[in-house]
Amino acid sequence: MLWIGLYLPWLSLEAFVATLPPEARGTPIALMHLHQVVSLNRAAHGLGVQRGMKRATALALAPQLLFGEAHEGRDAAALQAVAHAALAFSPVVCLSPPAGVLLEVSTTLRYFGGIDRLAQRLDDTLAPLGHRVFRARAPTAQGAALLSRWRDGVQCPDLATLQAALDDAPLPVLAAAQPHLETFQGMGLRHLGELRRLPRAGLARRFGEGLLDELDSASGDRPDPRESVVLPPAFDSEVELFARADTTDQLLHGAEVLLARLVVWLSARHAFVRRFQLVLRHEGRLRRAEGPSVTPVDVALAEPSRDAGHLQSLLRERLAAFVLPAPTLELALHAHDIAQQPPPNTELFPTPRNEREGLVRLIERLQARLGPARVQRLVRVPDHRPDRCAHTVPYEPGAAPRAPEPVVTSRRPVRRQARGAAERAAASPAPTKPPVLLAHPLEPERPAPSMRPVWLMPEPVPLAERQSRPLLEGQVLQLLCGPERIEAGWWDEGLAERDYFIAGTAEGALVWVYRARLPLSGGEGWFLQGRFG
Amino acid sequence: MPPAIVPLAEPSRTAAGPVSRTGGDESPTPPLLPTPRADRLDPERLHPALWRGHQLGRHAEQGCATGYEALDAQLPGGGWPRRALSELLLAHPGIGEIRLLAPALAAVQRAGRLVMLFDPPAVLSGWALAGMGLDVEQLLLIQAASQVPVDPGAAPPGPSRQVGVQARLWALEQALKSGHVGAVLAWLPPRLAPDRVRRLQLAAQAHDGPAFVLREASAQSSPSASPLRLGLRAAGVDQLAVNVLKRRGPPLLQPLHLRLPAMLSPVAARRARSAGESEARPVDVPVGQGADALAEPVAPRLPSATFVNLA
Repeated sequence: MLWIGLYLPWLSLEAFVATLPPEARGTPIALMHLHQVVSLNRAAHGLGVQRGMKRATALALAPQLLFGEAHEGRDAAALQAVAHAALAFSPVVCLSPPAGVLLEVSTTLRYFGGIDRLAQRLDDTLAPLGHRVFRARAPTAQGAALLSRWRDGVQCPDLATLQAALDDAPLPVLAAAQPHLETFQGMGLRHLGELRRLPRAGLARRFGEGLLDELDSASGDRPDPRESVVLPPAFDSEVELFARADTTDQLLHGAEVLLARLVVWLSARHAFVRRFQLVLRHEGRLRRAEGPSVTPVDVALAEPSRDAGHLQSLLRERLAAFVLPAPTLELALHAHDIAQQPPPNTELFPTPRNEREGLVRLIERLQARLGPARVQRLVRVPDHRPDRCAHTVPYEPGAAPRAPEPVVTSRRPVRRQARGAAERAAASPAPTKPPVLLAHPLEPERPAPSMRPVWLMPEPVPLAERQSRPLLEGQVLQLLCGPERIEAGWWDEGLAERDYFIAGTAEGALVWVYRARLPLSGGEGWFLQGRFG
Repeated sequence: MPPAIVPLAEPSRTAAGPVSRTGGDESPTPPLLPTPRADRLDPERLHPALWRGHQLGRHAEQGCATGYEALDAQLPGGGWPRRALSELLLAHPGIGEIRLLAPALAAVQRAGRLVMLFDPPAVLSGWALAGMGLDVEQLLLIQAASQVPVDPGAAPPGPSRQVGVQARLWALEQALKSGHVGAVLAWLPPRLAPDRVRRLQLAAQAHDGPAFVLREASAQSSPSASPLRLGLRAAGVDQLAVNVLKRRGPPLLQPLHLRLPAMLSPVAARRARSAGESEARPVDVPVGQGADALAEPVAPRLPSATFVNLA
């Protein structure tokens, strides 16, 4: 058995600081519990504030002191995130209240390549959570917990060194000794070793069985069953902001904590998130009457990810275009849609695979900021009418940008359609639609693409006319090629009967103009349809 | 280029440059001075980013071939530069700019990379693009602007389009910075401040591929950070006059005339040429003014037949 004990000495302070806006994080901060200072940061300590002070005393020393209330639920949520981070390294992870996490790593040492590498990776995983962590290694769980509470970096490979280290540890590390610390001081006891040398029967009578139990399980003389942390199947976490957030920028700092917790939960599950939801809970008092009390912000990913930086940038772009309906007090993050898949390989050199991933991320970012409808791809519609043959559709996330798509490019469907129309016309000649002789009987069904302009007007632009020739920007257009009759759409609403010409402007550019064949079909005179790019 | 290289290169250039060499030709070379060897004359031996004023600049990487040999010969690196902006100035869309860029874009797509178009000023026809050899599946359109104007050739619209300028430039910068896009073709908003262009140029250094920005013709008078600036002008049917405004190399005085892939049948093209001449003759255009003089609002003599079917 090899246990790593993690102890977070400033857990409640750090959990509180995470709810502050970033500019307030350097100011003197003190946490209160039962009207006493229980935790304080370095800046407050520098001003002379100490633990156990009353609020008035502390304020007299440091008027700018920022007070927060210690909150057990907030600490528990932060500690749970640390436990989730540890679960990525071992299936046996236990909480050691109030601020410790224990993990048994003897079974996973070989996989992670030794205790040193495992400790390094554990540090890297814990770093985004922003906690200061004391670590200790010991063969027993209780021993690791006690030593980590004492100081950082105690390493005991076997029971003998553990016993020696425990004998040097100070008494306050024992949870059961907390109520009796003054008594021990009066008895002249300072270290665990001195306590252990006292007669056991007398100790048990005066201080209770718990003290001896804790000592025995630490040294391995007593069984120490513990309950492992079980990972929840879905991620739900929330944080209450210290100050109400009026801008989305302030929200982001609170959301950073939640995203860091999400990422450690994902890495413990070996999963990737597909979509997540940030719920903003608004202040009730200042809310407008019709405003909602909660606002959900959904972020969907084209490709499952657990990269904190990427998730954060997506959320930032999403929130940048977002107007808060009311000041926000609480944030909650829910992630229920996750994907189990093998982690991506890390690559040193650029490959098509990581280029594709980068591309997907870029598109996600653009869609998050601009809106999904603004990222489009071109669709070719087999239709003769220029205003219908080209349109754009929003790019769907999930589909690869260069995946083949069922766009009809061959001429066959067109021909079949045309033949079908001809057969129908032959079978029952419609009196209102006499067969029209095309101007070019030999014209290909799908006109040669090179004869079509790249730029098309969304709406045909009416042109002025001089001596029955079209004018563009006050100049006569020279008709160079045509007419090419396009007559289609009698089967739907968009009937078009037009004679198209390629015309040249005075400077030499080519434009595509048409004249409606009949005055009733879409106006009279000349229209500009496109330009040859 | 690291700035520290320039002072290092300075003494050897003055010692071995053409000025001191011509001086050496006129008077006998002092024997104590080391004769300038050929290898010391080449500034590119000192640093790959160095080049002489009369040479074309060399890039560390080969440019993307434009598909037009005459243009390749005039561009530093033998093609459209990578990791840099190429600025194309044109009065309005629809003078052949897509036909100019299509070979390079198609080459990028053949390499399996994506081409992104930012804010095209009108609807793009997928059929026409496919006809130019582009793969429509590998095109992505980013419409960051609020709306598309009706006529791309019309005057630049008013302040309503200025709203989306930030978002447009942001999107373009993200695409350039990511380095995962094969080629970028962006229509920039009018009257863009030079620092915005500089910002884009800095972002383009991460972009391994050609990056084209298309701007209005009046941007020619404002400074720009892009290392290549070309002025485009239609010079007749299926012809494009390319005026090299700025490049890493000596200035090019004469505009290049490129023959674009023909849109017209040969008969129609001949007719267009003859029509141009017949229009040019009565107006009596002075030699050297060219197409600009033709654009004067004079009433050309019209042929009697209004429509002639020659296609």
